[in-house]
Amino acid sequence: MDSALIPQGVKRCPTWQFLLWLGIVGVVLLWGVYAMVLCWIKGLNQTNMNDAYGFALWIWADLAVIALGGGAFFTGFLRYLVGKDELKNIINYAVLIGFICYSSALLLLAIDVGQPLRSWHIFWHANIHSMLTEVAFCLSCYFMVLTIEYVPLILENRQLDKIPFFHHLGHNMHEIMAIFAATGAFLSFFHQGSLGGVAGVLFGRPFAYREGFLVWPWTFFLFTWSAAACGPCFTLLVTKITETITKKKLVKPNVVDLLGKISGWMLGTYIVAKIIDTWYWALVTVPSKGFTLTDFYSNNALYGIWILVMEILICGVAPAIILIIGPLRRNSALFMTAIILAVIGVCINRWVMVLQVMAMPVLTFENWVLYYPSWQEVATTVLPVVYGIILIMISYRYLPVFPQEQELNPVEK
Amino acid sequence: MKEDPNHIKARKFGMIIDLDKCTGCGACMVACMSENNVPFKEDESNKLDSITWMRVYKVTNGKPYPDMEICYIPRPCMHCEGSHGHSPCVSVCPATATDYDQATGIVSQIYTRCFGCRYCMAACPYHARYFNWWDPVWPTGMEQYLSPNVSPRMRGVVEKCTFCFHRYQLAKDRAFYEGRKTIEEGDYQTACTQACPAGAITFGDLNNPHHKVNQLVEPDPKHNGRPKNPNAFRLLERLGTNPKVYYLTSREWVKRAGDNYLKNED
Amino acid sequence: MSLGIGVAAGTTLSPLPWKVTDDLSIWTQRWPWTPVPEDGETSHVNSVCTLCPGGCGISVRKINDRAVKIEGMTDSQINDGGICILGLSGLQLLYGPTRIRSPLKRMGKRGSGKWEPISWEQAISTVVQKLDELRSQERPHAVACISGQKNGTVAELLKRFLTTYGSPNFMHVPSIQDSYELTLSMMNGVQAMAGIDVENAGYVLSFSSGTLEGWGSPVRMFKANSKLRDNKGKMVQIESRLSNTAAKADKWIPINPGTEADLALGLAYVIVQEALYSRKFVENYSAGFNQFKAFVINGYSPNKVANNTGVDSSIIIALARDFAKAANPLAICGRGQGDTPGPLAEFVAVHALNALVGNINQKGGIWSLPEPNYIRWPAAEPDETAKQGLREKRIDGAGNGAYSHTRSLLNRFPEALNSQKGDAIKVLLVSAANPLYTLPDTKSIKKAIDKIPFVISFSSYMDETARYSDLLLPNHTYLERFEDVVQPAGFHQPYIGLSKPVVKPLYLTRHTGDVVIAMARALKGNISRAFPWKSYDECLKQTLGAKLNSLMAKGYWIDEKYTPPTWAKAFKKTSKKFEFTLTPFKQPTRVLPKGDASTFPLLLIPYDSVRLANDRIGDPPFMIKTVEDTVLKGKDVFVEVNPKTAEELKLAEGKTAVLTTPTGKANVKIHLFDGIRPGIIAMPKGLGHNAYDKFLAEKGINVNDLISPVEDATSGLDAAWGIRAMLSKL
Ligand SMILES: Nc1nc2c(c(=O)[nH]1)N[C@H]1C(S)=C(S)[C@@H](COP(=O)(O)OP(=O)(O)OC[C@H]3O[C@@H](n4cnc5c(=O)[nH]c(N)nc54)[C@H](O)[C@@H]3O)O[C@H]1N2
Ligand SMILES: Nc1nc2c(c(=O)[nH]1)N[C@H]1C(S)=C(S)[C@@H](COP(=O)(O)OP(=O)(O)OC[C@H]3O[C@@H](n4cnc5c(=O)[nH]c(N)nc54)[C@H](O)[C@@H]3O)O[C@H]1N2
Ligand code: SF4
Ligand code: SF4
Ligand code: SF4
Ligand code: SF4
Ligand code: SF4
Ligand SMILES: [Mo]
Repeated sequence: MDSALIPQGVKRCPTWQFLLWLGIVGVVLLWGVYAMVLCWIKGLNQTNMNDAYGFALWIWADLAVIALGGGAFFTGFLRYLVGKDELKNIINYAVLIGFICYSSALLLLAIDVGQPLRSWHIFWHANIHSMLTEVAFCLSCYFMVLTIEYVPLILENRQLDKIPFFHHLGHNMHEIMAIFAATGAFLSFFHQGSLGGVAGVLFGRPFAYREGFLVWPWTFFLFTWSAAACGPCFTLLVTKITETITKKKLVKPNVVDLLGKISGWMLGTYIVAKIIDTWYWALVTVPSKGFTLTDFYSNNALYGIWILVMEILICGVAPAIILIIGPLRRNSALFMTAIILAVIGVCINRWVMVLQVMAMPVLTFENWVLYYPSWQEVATTVLPVVYGIILIMISYRYLPVFPQEQELNPVEK
Repeated sequence: MKEDPNHIKARKFGMIIDLDKCTGCGACMVACMSENNVPFKEDESNKLDSITWMRVYKVTNGKPYPDMEICYIPRPCMHCEGSHGHSPCVSVCPATATDYDQATGIVSQIYTRCFGCRYCMAACPYHARYFNWWDPVWPTGMEQYLSPNVSPRMRGVVEKCTFCFHRYQLAKDRAFYEGRKTIEEGDYQTACTQACPAGAITFGDLNNPHHKVNQLVEPDPKHNGRPKNPNAFRLLERLGTNPKVYYLTSREWVKRAGDNYLKNED
Repeated sequence: MSLGIGVAAGTTLSPLPWKVTDDLSIWTQRWPWTPVPEDGETSHVNSVCTLCPGGCGISVRKINDRAVKIEGMTDSQINDGGICILGLSGLQLLYGPTRIRSPLKRMGKRGSGKWEPISWEQAISTVVQKLDELRSQERPHAVACISGQKNGTVAELLKRFLTTYGSPNFMHVPSIQDSYELTLSMMNGVQAMAGIDVENAGYVLSFSSGTLEGWGSPVRMFKANSKLRDNKGKMVQIESRLSNTAAKADKWIPINPGTEADLALGLAYVIVQEALYSRKFVENYSAGFNQFKAFVINGYSPNKVANNTGVDSSIIIALARDFAKAANPLAICGRGQGDTPGPLAEFVAVHALNALVGNINQKGGIWSLPEPNYIRWPAAEPDETAKQGLREKRIDGAGNGAYSHTRSLLNRFPEALNSQKGDAIKVLLVSAANPLYTLPDTKSIKKAIDKIPFVISFSSYMDETARYSDLLLPNHTYLERFEDVVQPAGFHQPYIGLSKPVVKPLYLTRHTGDVVIAMARALKGNISRAFPWKSYDECLKQTLGAKLNSLMAKGYWIDEKYTPPTWAKAFKKTSKKFEFTLTPFKQPTRVLPKGDASTFPLLLIPYDSVRLANDRIGDPPFMIKTVEDTVLKGKDVFVEVNPKTAEELKLAEGKTAVLTTPTGKANVKIHLFDGIRPGIIAMPKGLGHNAYDKFLAEKGINVNDLISPVEDATSGLDAAWGIRAMLSKL
């Protein structure tokens, strides 16, 4: 039925099957949209956020999704600026995932603010001291860059490519893609960093606060670094999942291995930096505010020291070792474990930097507050996930996302 | 009114609450609510979504019967100065919807500019900021008592104690009409100060040595306004928020409850 | 396709998106459902707050015709600019949804909330018809009146109405004033009110008086407490619970509830034994000291008293010495003016302490104040039917037999009605009172009211009693009417305040004074003749006479030069001296709470927080907002339990438990509190309303559902300190 749209030389599932899955995922999408509309019409009282928990579940999702979307900028950086040419075979997918992550992040932000219709005040009345201003500017610019990076891929659709204008447009865009990739990488370095800065500058919240370099707290650099390390892992993870579902090899092992190795080194160096940061924070920063490290991990039902061990050792050091050491990396089970752990690790980091910050009392006469999201929050947080799945389904079906697919999966005529 | 900048040093309005006198009666809370058109809803027992610009905390020394002691700590916005006006909340607001006024030291809140990102709430360690999770609704007829001096806030924005800034403006207007160049200590007093039946609250210009607030705590300009009076303290002094609300107490445990200390510190 | 792109690009580059964005932003700032208060001319009206017996001066800020803020009046002698949480919330009462907006006639069953608005003419003629009927049956004494006010013109009009109509059954809501009055009459020999010169006291010894909980004139007491601090005076609180007052005191002495008299006598023992008393006063101006001395020496040694009160004998001795040696020591007692005026023994014992240190009618001491005498109407002349009715015994037994000294015993009213067959009371008038909520043992008061065929309430608000009445004749609120306010509770100088209309009446309400006058006029004859005034305002004007001008200008009249009579002239007993009476001690000094200790091992005491308007009025939303979440959470009320007691009962913080007393049963939540004696549990007053609005109703439990009154053998007044109780897991 839709065969005319499907790229040549590849095999796709029957239309009915595609539509059936689209329908199933679509129902979840509608649930999410319903929750989103509720939040817009009735306001944020639809959530379980409160005055202690001004940032909650979906802000965590927002941060996590941006970190995971980091695969796009970093892969772009490696391919266009460092010149790792093999990565061209995964860059499309990285860009697509990045696009999904960033559009989701923007959507979540639009639901999150109490007065969405005034969101533009952030540009109009911008406060240059605010990390969030930096985030907003870079995020919006970078999203435009990602769109520009994604458009040529769309234009490669069989039918669109037939239109000369689009054909030339796509071609010309490819030519200058390096410039955009460079811009994107630059913007990304900054907004990933400023997202880290969001928590790090909170000098009223000793759990989040970090000293730093000039106006940037250490979390600024750590966030960029961790996104660069774990974002590609997420790209790889999604690729692996796609391969499993489509029952096809889509990217050659050498590409995967290269990206895995680079991630490993990034993660390894990141985790060393993170350990030094934590060490200094625990021994110098925290006591200077009158706290001890254990204050942050006791007297409550959820946040124990386990979360620190989990984030740094299990989801940081362990995957870094696996990914760095060749033989371990090439063991496919270990490789999968490592990229999953890395992804979990960065999510825990973002969780801690948003939710634990809120949960932790600062005044001596206040208590820990734990928080449970409402269904509307959960639905709205699930929304980007299903939206992503749908966009991947459509893109994969109609666009030549994986340049090596044809070669790896010859279709007999 | 325009004041001659050579004549008048920037003011730094501040508040001193005598915890030995404060009885925890809550009049300051309600004085603030009724002065500032603070809304209410059917159930206000969840203190995590109940708007109280002034909140009176009940603090105990944690000892068992009969050695238990109670102290009440009223907490308005501290109007933190941080260093050079970089209060925790002001520096983070992306839309400049909250601002540090260098002329008065007051941390303002611009409801119509705020777009409700709540970053400032995350930044404030005192939980002095409140979000309008709901539309403010007054039962039919009750909107008649709303004061035109303070606009009711709409759903989706953050609000907090303003040191009754509108009273400062009214005081300046009055002084102008009366042909005076400056406003006197008594001209500008906050609603909570005025109401407190125990007379526990003192309000005035910390920079003015003739004002009671200055005399009571003797802020040390060399140390970010840290009080020289040994019975005075500020909440979370060591975070560097540099608040303009001071507390007086004769009880050591109360002073200690005002900040975090390591076990071996005295 | 390219057209589409062109349009999109064109639109994006045109000013349109900016305009739309801007408009949307502006729209969010002017959401039509967010009110915009109208601006206008600012003015201030000075008046007096009557929401509690405090009598504070208030200054109400207005914008055009709207009242927008209530503040304390700065030149008030009582509150000097200060104001309490309730006074601040007054506009929520004025403009609130619980106002009764016109006379209402009950339609459905009692309490069903079905009403028909009627005109004032219809309303008054309905009442008058009933009243005429009763008189024609020679039963004028079957009318009773419960008044929240005891004096002032409105209370006097009601009394006068009952007198000329022919009923002796005027009852006021009892208060500690009654106990103080009885004490002054027994010991000073005068019919007077107690004035307490706290401002000049140097050492305040309080027997459970919540001076920071709202005792006396609340704002004045707060101010006095701060003054005491400034003057480096001392404050000692004797109380079973670490109340706010206890928390602010220099010393908190936990005591077994109800044993205050014993402790006072124990202190007297030490003072007498060590001869620390004022010889000048005791030797020259008192009688009966020797019996008193023998009495305390015999029965109240610190060791004995320690047993009973739970206060260490060493503390008793030290306390007595401190008290007697302090400059201007003052002992006070009684939990406010409430339903528990308290055991007379306690008042007499504490007054004796004051006498021992010689601070009767002295600076910083207890003064006797003449009752206000500005209401000087010509005596009413009851006709024959009325005289007949007035000869009948009062339904509550006051002024008669055992209780011949007591003027009114509202606490005995429900029991009296319930123990009689038939309908002894046919018509009940309720003014400025809400007995269905505020009297202990709500079940029994409801049963009593069920026996009264016709209940009329004058309340301005739909309170519990109004909801359960047959006819509502709503008064203007205190911000809409003139009224004299007599003598703030415990103030030591003669004082009258004047409430003034701050705004024009919002609804079809009518001043209770006007309604009484109209009823009297319609009843004709002698009754009508006793009410010669055209309106209440005219009556008030005539009554206040020369004081009116100063009252209109300043809002209050005060006799600042008043000093109490000197010792030589003060005492009007036959001995012309102060008498150390032993009368109330002939009974057991301790009034035991209802219930037996084996079934009910705990003692439940009601406590009061100044953040909960407990009686005069239902809490406005602002006040409920300040209630801590360890007192009320959602609809659940917490009882305070000592952690030790809770451990024995296996109850944990926040858990629901069943609280049972001989009077009732309720589900409550547990709050562990180290500020309460093991074995005692405490519950806040002022919650558990079932009338009013959604901001107040159905939150928590009315403690009166769980407690019962216990009569003091000497006064007949309610002297119960709580009730025995049991807590069990749900
Ligand atoms: N804001 C506001 N102020 C008010 C009022 C109001 O409605 N709102 N109402 C006014 C009125 S009418 C009154 S009567 C007063 C009441 O004000 P208070 O006189 O303060 O009365 P309570 O607080 O009920 O009683 C004082 C204390 O007695 C303790 N107590 C209970 N049982 C015992 C016992 O057996 N022994 C001892 N030693 N202590 C015991 C309780 O812990 C309580 O803290 O407040 C007045 N002030
Ligand atoms: N549950 C509970 N019971 C209590 C107490 C408690 O705290 N809680 N406290 C005890 C004490 S201390 C006291 S003094 C008594 C008080 O007992 P009451 O005097 O019976 O109680 P209030 O609620 O003060 O009754 C006053 C009622 O009069 C109405 N009202 C208010 N202002 C006016 C007015 O100006 N004119 C007229 N006509 N009506 C008016 C209001 O509707 C209010 O409900 O209750 C005692 N019982
Ligand atoms: S009004 Fe005064 S005494 Fe009452 S809680 Fe506030 S500061 Fe304390
Ligand atoms: S107390 Fe909080 S809201 Fe107020 S100035 Fe300080 S940080 Fe800002
Ligand atoms: S919530 Fe409003 S005031 Fe706070 S940071 Fe965001 S825009 Fe600024
Ligand atoms: S200063 Fe004004 S705004 Fe701040 S708490 Fe007091 S009354 Fe409220
Ligand atoms: S203390 Fe009583 S009289 Fe004074 S303001 Fe409060 S309620 Fe009114
Ligand atoms: Mo009372």
